[in-house]
This record gives sequence, structure tokens and C-alpha cells, in this order.
Amino acid sequence: MRRLLPLLTLLCLAFGPLPALSQSLEALIRQLPEGSFSDRAEVVAAIAATLDERAVGVLEALGEGDLHQRKADGAILKVTGRGSKARAFDPLTGEELGPVPARSTTAIKVNNALRRAVRSGIATLTLMHRDPTRRLAAANAAFQSADPDQLEALGAALAAEQDASVAEAIAQAQAAALLASDADPALRVEAIETVRARGGRDALAVLTPLRASEVPLIAEAAAAAVAEIERSQAMWARAQNVWFGLSLGSVLLLAAVGLGITFGVMGVINMAHGELIMLGAYTTFVTQELIRGHAPGLFDWSLAIAAPLAFLVAGGIGVAMERGIVRHLYGRPLETLLATWGVSLILQQTVRSVFGPTNREVGNPSWMSGAFQLGEMTVTLNRLTIILFALVVFAGLLVLLRRTPFGLRMRAVTQNRPMAAEMGIRTGWIDAMTFGLGAGVAGLAGVALSQIDNVSPNLGQSYIIDSFLVVVFGGAGNLWGTFAAAFSLGIVNKFLEPVAGAVLAKILVLVFIILFIQKRPRGLFPQRGRAVEA
Amino acid sequence: MVRKGLIDRRTGLFLVVLFAVIVLIPLGNLLLAPGTAGHVPGYLLPLLGKYLCFALLAVSLDLVWGYAGILSLGHGAFFALGGYAMGMHLMREIGDRGVYANPVLPDFMVFLSYEKLPWYWHGFDMFWFACLMVLFVPGLLAFVFGWFAFRSRVTGVYLSIITQALTYALMLAFYRNEMGLGGNNGLTDFRDVLGFSLSDDSTRIALFVLSGLALAFGIILGRFITGSKFGMVLVGVRDAESRTRFLGYRVEHYKLFVFTVSAMLAGLAGALYVPQVGIINPGEFSPANSIEIVIWVALGGRCTLVGAALGALIVAAAKSWLTANFPEAWLFVLGAAFVLVTIFLPRGVIGLLDGLKPGGRHRHALPQAAPEPAE
Amino acid sequence: MIGTALAGALAGLPAFAQEEPIKVGILHSLSGTMAISETTLKDVMLMLIEEQNAKGGVLGRPLEAVVVDPASDWPRFAELARELIDGQEVDVVFGCWTSVSRKSVLPVFEELNSILFYPVQYEGQESQRNVFYTGAAPNQQAIPAVDYLMDEEGVERWVLAGTDYVYPRTTNQILEAYLKAKGVAAEDIMINYTPFGHSDWQTIVSDIAAFGSTGKKTAVVSTINGDANVPFYKELGNQGISAEDIPVVAFSVGEEELAGLDTAPLVGHLAAWNYFMSVDTPENDEFITAWHEFIGSEDRVTNDPMEAHYIGFNMWVEAVEAAGTTDPDAVIDAMVGVAVPNLTGGISSMGANHHITKPVLVGEIRDDGQFDVVWETSGLVLGDEWSDHLPESADMIADWRAPLACGNFNVATGQCGGVTN
Repeated sequence: MRRLLPLLTLLCLAFGPLPALSQSLEALIRQLPEGSFSDRAEVVAAIAATLDERAVGVLEALGEGDLHQRKADGAILKVTGRGSKARAFDPLTGEELGPVPARSTTAIKVNNALRRAVRSGIATLTLMHRDPTRRLAAANAAFQSADPDQLEALGAALAAEQDASVAEAIAQAQAAALLASDADPALRVEAIETVRARGGRDALAVLTPLRASEVPLIAEAAAAAVAEIERSQAMWARAQNVWFGLSLGSVLLLAAVGLGITFGVMGVINMAHGELIMLGAYTTFVTQELIRGHAPGLFDWSLAIAAPLAFLVAGGIGVAMERGIVRHLYGRPLETLLATWGVSLILQQTVRSVFGPTNREVGNPSWMSGAFQLGEMTVTLNRLTIILFALVVFAGLLVLLRRTPFGLRMRAVTQNRPMAAEMGIRTGWIDAMTFGLGAGVAGLAGVALSQIDNVSPNLGQSYIIDSFLVVVFGGAGNLWGTFAAAFSLGIVNKFLEPVAGAVLAKILVLVFIILFIQKRPRGLFPQRGRAVEA
Repeated sequence: MVRKGLIDRRTGLFLVVLFAVIVLIPLGNLLLAPGTAGHVPGYLLPLLGKYLCFALLAVSLDLVWGYAGILSLGHGAFFALGGYAMGMHLMREIGDRGVYANPVLPDFMVFLSYEKLPWYWHGFDMFWFACLMVLFVPGLLAFVFGWFAFRSRVTGVYLSIITQALTYALMLAFYRNEMGLGGNNGLTDFRDVLGFSLSDDSTRIALFVLSGLALAFGIILGRFITGSKFGMVLVGVRDAESRTRFLGYRVEHYKLFVFTVSAMLAGLAGALYVPQVGIINPGEFSPANSIEIVIWVALGGRCTLVGAALGALIVAAAKSWLTANFPEAWLFVLGAAFVLVTIFLPRGVIGLLDGLKPGGRHRHALPQAAPEPAE
Repeated sequence: MIGTALAGALAGLPAFAQEEPIKVGILHSLSGTMAISETTLKDVMLMLIEEQNAKGGVLGRPLEAVVVDPASDWPRFAELARELIDGQEVDVVFGCWTSVSRKSVLPVFEELNSILFYPVQYEGQESQRNVFYTGAAPNQQAIPAVDYLMDEEGVERWVLAGTDYVYPRTTNQILEAYLKAKGVAAEDIMINYTPFGHSDWQTIVSDIAAFGSTGKKTAVVSTINGDANVPFYKELGNQGISAEDIPVVAFSVGEEELAGLDTAPLVGHLAAWNYFMSVDTPENDEFITAWHEFIGSEDRVTNDPMEAHYIGFNMWVEAVEAAGTTDPDAVIDAMVGVAVPNLTGGISSMGANHHITKPVLVGEIRDDGQFDVVWETSGLVLGDEWSDHLPESADMIADWRAPLACGNFNVATGQCGGVTN
């Protein structure tokens, strides 16, 4: 590219001043690869100004980086796929032109400024689209770009619009564009009102600069509108904080609830718990790799497939740990700490040897990507899914422990081992299954965490301390305690963070837990009896 | 109240070997030419000195874990605090020889545009003050923490977890650059102590000998405490806390005393560690480091003091050797060692040695595999 | 000691049979938190040494790599450096990543008079006789990137987000001074620090979105360290902050970091480096092919610190050949002025301040995890060890050539800092 630039500049000079509005769409498209990014942004604007419906596809392809120029004749192609799978299409008609030989084309580079021009251009072109959702998207994009040049197109679109909600969005976009123009002050004050009614950050972005307007009337109206939007934002910020707290809490709950079983119920200090989480995440990675390789269509289901596998992998290792190591250490709870720490080192290094030390890519299924607005609050879908997943796992555990024969036996063994053995319960088997259950749940946590955190051999390390604190704070041996602890710590942390900063917030939470344990040495909901005494 | 057997055979043997080492190595280095058999190469000496500091740290943990049943997962914090106190002195010693040539402010403060020295840095230009702080700061933290924890009868696993939270919180705090202690980089680039250059062989030898003496002091102090009536009460607390309390002993006072003494020993170890490795940074507070200390003690054999020291020496030496020679394998070996030792050698290496000769079992030995009683 | 990993090609070259090998120490963490970044650098060094042996070694002697694992433990770095130099008697060391590891080994290299090549972009404010800095100083990364955003994107409002350690602190301090000098108001700069490995970015990303909604074009300058980046970018993507609205320019995110995440939502975010894998030059093609062959996988990426080692290693080879010996003093003197091709089509040379000249490239993330170069400096830029934008270092320079031979010379007072040696 660097070597091409001087050449291109030369070409531009040769072709004279760029783009004249009267040129045809075809001619404009051929100019797309030429000149600086800002020159090309003008070409994009000119393409949009043709109001030719075929231009939508061209601009979309450009924005995606799919437009290529054929080296042989300079023709512009839309190319999809890579390497041997690359195929060319006519950007205007969509007609397939066959496979693309390697290195026969060069991609047309786009940068952010050009992508913004593309977005605004597509908005102009799709304001009259037959699909109302496209029209709404176009209106919202037009609102963001707030370009006085679009006023005419917006006016025409508004007049033709039948759908009430789209019409409202177009009217708001028109107001935003009007505010950017030097129209009559009275009109613009009216427009401020329209934008204020829209609310949200987009509206703030339009109104805030107007506070410095030279027209006192506009400046006043804008200041009032901004103040009002900020008030409502501040209210929503609290709700948003609760949401962030719930989300953090759900992560803590997932990480800690397995420990709530192995540590809380069985009294085993399992320092390898974090590594079991990591194994769950790596199981997700392997599952996704297999799906990508063999059945790409199933990718959206990859997490649903990975979850039971992760449970089995981590659970299996848990059972093996219990039979091989922990079994020999009952009655010496603090020594389980040492042995399982050893296990954690081994697991970490094994993963590092097998998968390498670098991060592995675990993708978000499409239904977990993105966010939606709830009032002024952004709800991200992956966080929402994780909260729901945490609740489902927790509920599942409760049912398993309270309502099934296995749960009954488990509680019998933990409460009175000799008596349970007398009753014919195979205590050894129950121990192995209980430990396996705790480990399996850690595996499930790994599946969820793979969606928001690094999948690396160090993954487990970052959760182990938090997990122990959650269990201790909640009261060992009480799953509801773990539940309450996870969510309350999550929310407290998120309310402290904006005030104190992320690090100080965490330190304050730790100090709070230390002090709390002094006051109530058995946590929020102490277990009665003699289950955990070490 | 000191009973017969302040120095039992095992301790005696260890001390004799220790003294031999701290006399012979310096002698060898002073008398023999570099490169000959008796001369310890320059790069090994600070390493050996570091091992001795670790051994002292392990002894300090054994004092609370082995004898009083307090499993601290935060002992690294006391060690690091002692280290920081010494590091602050060494920083001040650099004076105007830092890269910015500021006579008062250490380099990192100039770097972060500090106007003047933060209040807690005052006094550290005096060696005696720094030495006092080496003992006082960890001691005070242990005293305050223990005062609350032992009075509210936080015991067992709960105590372990909150000691871990303590060191974790301190680690996060020391990572913050606002603490004025160098943030992630910590304190480094030390030049001399009491006017002796840290890169001189003679200074290194002196620090090595001092570490050896400190270890000996720690072991003898530990024997003194645990061999007294006070020590008997401690073991009583460990094995049956409630019963000891019902007998009229103020259990929390006993625990608090030994916890504070142990923290001060750990601080001393940290202070000797810093000039030998040349850096102290918040990584020393990391909970994993503190767990490693526990593992030294367990591997050596707890409730023996000498065993703890031995465990620290074995693990630290193995770690050095493995990371240099089998970089990919050391976590496997280390991990496997911990698993095998806990299962097959519950009394550690010392237990193994004792098992070889009859009658070697210790008076204070742990009740074997007995669950610790409920309250 | 047995701790020597012989570079593979050694056995196949009988010509070396009589010659004593030159030992090259490699001091990168292979376990612990930094293994994620440093293991690759160990591999690239082994590859370069193998290639050099195939070419006949240096001074007719074969090279022998001595690999140790400091395990992301800073005191261990100093210890192992000492062992490498004193125990293994290596002639040069390539290593370290974090600032603290470099700080930890500095006194050792000074005391034992050996040579360290440090390949990572760092905060500057340092120049040491025994160290050669082949990564970028702040003027080779941060300032050009900010210039680009200001000129090309019209950014007026800045979020400086970083992990709380020396590199981001210093870089942000320099940037803040620079931005204010360019007329940016204090309220248009937001500075935020997070701990290492920070994983919950919800609040901060939402704060950034709010900060960016005043109608002024906003950008994030990120000095967020390694591991914390993946969750940060995932959160950005999920909260719908696209590069067209609020671009993020990062100084610690390269091909290797992006390999760990799905880059589709990140298209258009930027990074400033001195090398990108996507740069189309014959040298780079050759390097990538060799790397893929050496590591046995077509999927492995190359990145900026790898190029730094490539440049540093070739410079060292040149200097040793020129000096005719591996003696540190001779090699250190011969290093200044050595020029070797870099991988982006230019010739990098070693300055008297022990920093090198490099091009500065700004790249936008593509959906395949690579970068498109959207801007670059017209020539090569020499690393500026003492920033001109900070008052305490504005008067300082480093020049290790004969008459001056000083790493912190104060031009105002005419004194060579406070270092006594």
C-alpha cells in the first residue's frame, strides 16, 4: 500500500478534480479505490446521493471490507470467502462471477472515517426501503450523523412514511440535522424539544455542543434539555449499577457454588477448583473447534453441547481426585489444601503443555452477542445469559440435593457418616459423587466464563480466592448463603467502583469481608451442627 | 520455665550443620581462589542467603501452625512488609545517585511527579529506624488482626481464608501507584547498606552469615517458646481449644502472643531477603507465595521447627534447580511432590527421618490423623 | 550445569566441531502469568539461533542457546540473570518483558558487565550502558498514534485507560502533557487505571460510553496490559461501542493478543506498533514462512516484540562480527551505529542512546485478527529515552559514545546524572 500511494496520488492528479455529482453510479464506483480516505468519503457521499437502490449493496460490501479491485483491469468486485473458497460477485447486480484466483485482486481499504461515511450513505439510501426495520435503522443512523445535507431526503422520507414509530425516528433525525444547520432559531428551539423527547446518550451527543450556541435562546433550551436528560440518565445509572452487580454476582455464584459443595458440604479445601473451571473453559474451546471443523451449522448450539461435556470432564477429574487423593485425607482438612494445590499446579502445566500458554479463542454464539436497551440501560445478551445460566445451575443443584435420593444420601453422609454407613449407604461412593458434582459444576462455570474472560492456563487462578471468600462470607455448608453472598458482594462492588475505582473497590470489599468474619465467624448463614470444623 | 531439652538432638544437629555452613563458606571464599572446589561462585551466594531467609520464614509459620494450630495463609504479607521496610531504607540510601539525581525523592517518585516525600517515608533514612519498623510493622498488623480474630474465635479454615484475604488485599493495595511505594515495580536498584556496596563479595558474605544467624536465632527462640510452659498451653490450644479455655487459660492471649512473634520473625526474614535479591515488589504478597510457605512446612514436617527450615531449603533449592534445568517440567514435579508428601508423608521429611530410628518421635508431635474436635 | 538446550542445527554442522560455542542466554518466563506472552519470544530466539548456525554461526563459532525459566517471578529474573552470566558464562542475554523484570535484572547486568536485549515497548525514562532497547519508547508509539487520531479522525476528547503500572502511568503522563500542549482542555481528558488481569469491565465501558456522548469525537487510548484486554474488547463489542463511534487505539494489543478472541466486533479499532504481521515486504514474508516452519503450525502469528528480537539479534551478530570478539565492552562499543534491515522494508539502526530507529505504523483491526496499516510515519523515528514532554526529563539525554558515555546527561547543568560508575 505504501508503495502504491505515490502512484495513486499521481493517478488522481491525472484524472483531475474528484467527484462530480453528475457522474453515473458505475463511474463513481470505479473511483472508490483512489485517493486519500477523505477523498473517498466524498465519493461515498456522491454514491449515496444517486439514491440508486443498487448502491446499498455496494456500500455495504465496502463497509464490510469485501470490495476488491481486480489487478488485471481495475474492475470492482465483491469478494466473499477467503483463499480457495473466495468467490466474486458483481457489486451492482449481485450476479456471481465465479471463483477468484489467489492474489488476483486487492481489497479496497476502509478506515473508521470511511466507514462512518458508508454508514451515513446507507442511511440516506435506505430511508425509503420497503422493510420498516431497515428504515428505522436508517433513521437512527441519520440521527447520529446529524448531517444538514440529508435534510431534504429526510423530509421526503417523513412525508412518505406510514409507520408511526419509524416516522417518529425520522422526525427526530430531521430535528438533529436541523440543529446542525443554520436554520431559523425558532425552528431549532422546536427541534431541541423533539430531540430531548428522544432522550438517551445519542440525544446528549446532539444537544451538549449546542449549550455553547451563539443564539442565547438555543443555548438556554439546550442547557435545560441536557440537564433533564442527565437527570434521567443518573436515575437509570443506578438501575444499570444493580444490573452490573447482578452480573458480577452471577459470575461469582457460578465460580463459588461448586466450592460450596466440595468445601462447604464436604469440608475439603479444593485449591484445584479454579483449574476445574479452566478445564470447563477449555472443553468449550475444543468443542467449538470440532464444530467449526465438522459441523459449522451447529455453532450456535456449541455452548449447549459443551456444557454437559464440561460437566463430565471436570466431574470425572473430580471423581478421580477424590478416589486418588482426597479420600486419604479425610479428617485432615487443611492437608487437602496442600494436595489439591499440587493437583492445581499439575493441571495448569498440563493444559499449558497441551494447548500452549497463549489465549484460545472461544466465540460467542450469535444469540449471545450484542445488547438491547431497557430504558436508558444497556443489557448485554451474554451477561443476561450468564445470569440465567447461574440461576438454572443453582436451582438444579438445590433440587438435586433436596429432592432426589442421591441428595438425601449425601446429606446423610455429611451429617452423620457412621450412621449413614449403618443404614447401608456406600459412603465412599457418595463422597466420590459429591466431590464429582462440585467439580462438574466448576466445569459448567468454565463454560460460562469462557464467554467473558480469557481462556488461558491462568484462568482458574483469578477466581479461586474470590470463590473461597464468597463461600466463607455466605457461611460454609449453606448453598443459599453462597447465593446471597455472591449477589450482595457483586452489587456492593459495583456500587463502590464508580466512587472508589476498581482496585480500591475490591480492597474495600476484602476488608469488609475480613471485618464481617470477625463479627460473625461462621458467615451470613451459619451452618448448624458440626459439618465444617477444621 | 525452660525445660530440659531446649535443644534436642535433631535441633542440635541442624544448628551444628548451619553454623558449619555459615563459617566454612565465607572462609572458603576468603581463602580460596575463585573457581576452586571450596569457593562458592558469586551467583550462588545470594541464592543460598535467600534460602536461609525462606527457612526462617518457614520456621515462623511453623511456630503458629505447628504449635498453635493457626494455619496462616497470609504469612507472606508479614515477610513482604518487613522487606518493604528494609527496601524503603535502601531506597533512601541511594540518595542523589538515582538517575534523576534527586537527593530526597527516590527515582519512581520523581517519575510520577511527587512534590515531596510522603509522610510514611520519613525516618527511613535512619538504619535503626528501618530495623525497628522491620519488626514493628508486621508485628502491629499481626497484633491488630489477631486481636480481632482470636477474640471473636475465628478458627480453622475460616481463619485461613481471611488471612488469605488479608494478603490479597495488601497485594492489591501495594500494586496501586497511589500507595507511594513503587507500585508494580516495587523498590529496586539498591546500592549499599550502611555504606557497604551491595555488589561487594564481602557484603554478600556478611548478609549470608547474618541470614544464617537469624535462622539460628529463630529456631532457638521457637524452641524456647514452645519448650516453656507457655508452649505446652499452646499445644493444648491446638489440640483442644475449648478444653484449654475451660481450664481457665486466656486462649486468645496465648495465640495473639505467638502470632505476633511469628509475624515479627517473618518480617526479619523479609528484611534480610531484600538486600540479597535486590528487589521487593507486591508480587511477594500474592496468596500463592503464602501457600508455598505452608507447603515448605508441611513437606519438612510441621511442629518441629527444624523440619520447617529443612522443607523450605529443599523446596527452594529444587525450584531453583528445576526452573533452570527443566523449565517445562518443574510445575509437574513440584505438584506431584506436594500430592505424594501429603498422602504418604503426613509428618514430612523429618517424620521420614525419625521413622528410621526408634524412639525418635517428638513430644509435641501431632495427633496422627485425628480429626480436630468440634467446639 | 546441564541447563543447556542446544539449538537443533548444531549437530548437523561438523565444521564447528572444534570451535567452542558462543552462548546466548534466553531469559523469558515459560510459566506463570507472563508465559502467555514470553514463550513465543523464547521460540523466536531459538529459531534465529538455528538460522544463524545454518549460516555458519558467528565468528566461525556455533551459537548455543541457554534457556531458563524465571517463571514470572521478578527476583528469579535477577537470580537467573546472575546464573546465566556468572554460572553459564553466556555472552549475551535476550529477555524480559515486563518493566519490573527489566528493573530487577538491571543491577545484575551492570555489575557483571554483560549485555541485555530488551524487546518490548516500554515507558522510557531509562538508558543503561549494558542494555539495548529494541522495543518502542513512548515517542515511537503513543505520540504518533495520538497525532493520527487528532488529524485523521478529528478526535477532541480522550480517555486514557491503562493497567496500573509504570508503563501506562508514564505513557499517560506524557500523553496528558502532550494533549494539553495541543490545546485539549482538562475536562476533555479522562484517565482510568485498573488492576492487572481486570476482568469485569462493565462499569468502565459504560463510563466511556457516557464520556463519549457529548457530541465531541471521542477516542480511547489504551495501555491496558495483556490478559485484561480480551474481556475489555468483549465488553466493548457487547455494549455496541463500535470503532466508528469511539475508536480504541491500543499499544499493548497485537496479533498474539487478538488470536485469543473473535475480532468481528472489533473491526476498525486501532493499534500502534512498529511492525504488523500483515506488512507486505519480502523480508517479512520470509520471516513468517520460517516461523511457521519452525513452530510447525500455520496458525501461529508474528508480532512486534518478535520483530524487535529479530532486529536485536541481527544487530548483535553484526556488532560481534565487527568487534571480532564477544567481549562485552567491545561489543557494546560496536553496537552504536550498527544498521540492519527490519521487517517493514526499512533499515533500523542503533542510536547512541541504545534505542533503535523504527517506523511507526497505525493499524486497524481486520475481521481475521490482522491489522490494516492505515497510516505510517514518513521515515524512521529514533526512540527518545528521556521524554521531552515531562518536566523532570526534558533536559536529559543519553549518549554512550566515548567522550560522554552517560545514560542521563543533564544538558542544563552539564552534569552526568547521579550514577557513579
